[in-house]
Amino acid sequence: MTTFLLGIGLILCFLVLLVLYRVVFGPGVFNRVAAISAIGTKTLIILLIMGFLYNRVEMFIDISMVYALLNFIGCIAAAKYLEMEK
Amino acid sequence: MVFRKDDIIVNTISRILIPFIQLYALYVIMHGHYSPGGGFQGGVILGASLVLLLLTRGYDETRLKIPENSMKLFASAGVLIYAGVGLLCLFFLGNFLDYSKLAVLLHVDPAQARSLGILAVEIGVGFAVMAVMYSIFLDISTGGVLAEDEEEE
Repeated sequence: MTTFLLGIGLILCFLVLLVLYRVVFGPGVFNRVAAISAIGTKTLIILLIMGFLYNRVEMFIDISMVYALLNFIGCIAAAKYLEMEK
Repeated sequence: MVFRKDDIIVNTISRILIPFIQLYALYVIMHGHYSPGGGFQGGVILGASLVLLLLTRGYDETRLKIPENSMKLFASAGVLIYAGVGLLCLFFLGNFLDYSKLAVLLHVDPAQARSLGILAVEIGVGFAVMAVMYSIFLDISTGGVLAEDEEEE
């Protein structure tokens, strides 16, 4: 089980790197916002997997909830900013 | 300046979510010594809930519910709680923030006095961080010119 979770975590880390390319070079702001949001959800799952690996899930659930929350607020703030640009 | 838009999805989601965010922030502050978190993190989450309110409701409507002057009051009250608990320990012949000396005042054993003292300090830190986070966001989003300042002139 530990190997399985570790493998999934590493794959997710690799996917984060792929999405990071979109954040840095992506044409336009919309691509960047969507990519940052995707990185946020992937990081959330990576945090939970870390919790399972360290046998302290109840601690990492708190952190991942805060991460999801700030990701949501950041997404809304970026959307508001794009709305005001016009 | 952030204006209100009648976007039903964002407005409804934020209206449902904000009380739970604030409840979670209080949990993070209160549970700070058993789980990750504490005064600063809880204060940031409380501030984030206010920022979400400002983002979805607009500046003019939020200003009626949460005046900027109350944020000054909250920031100062937080620092006052923090420094007050620390100085109270000095008053009972301990070091600054040496909570075990508060046992005389609270009528409990020193170990429990430490726990309660840390809780009081973290509540103060949470207040201060929340107010400062919100006022920083307000200053950035309005370009530093608040409506109250314009009314005074």
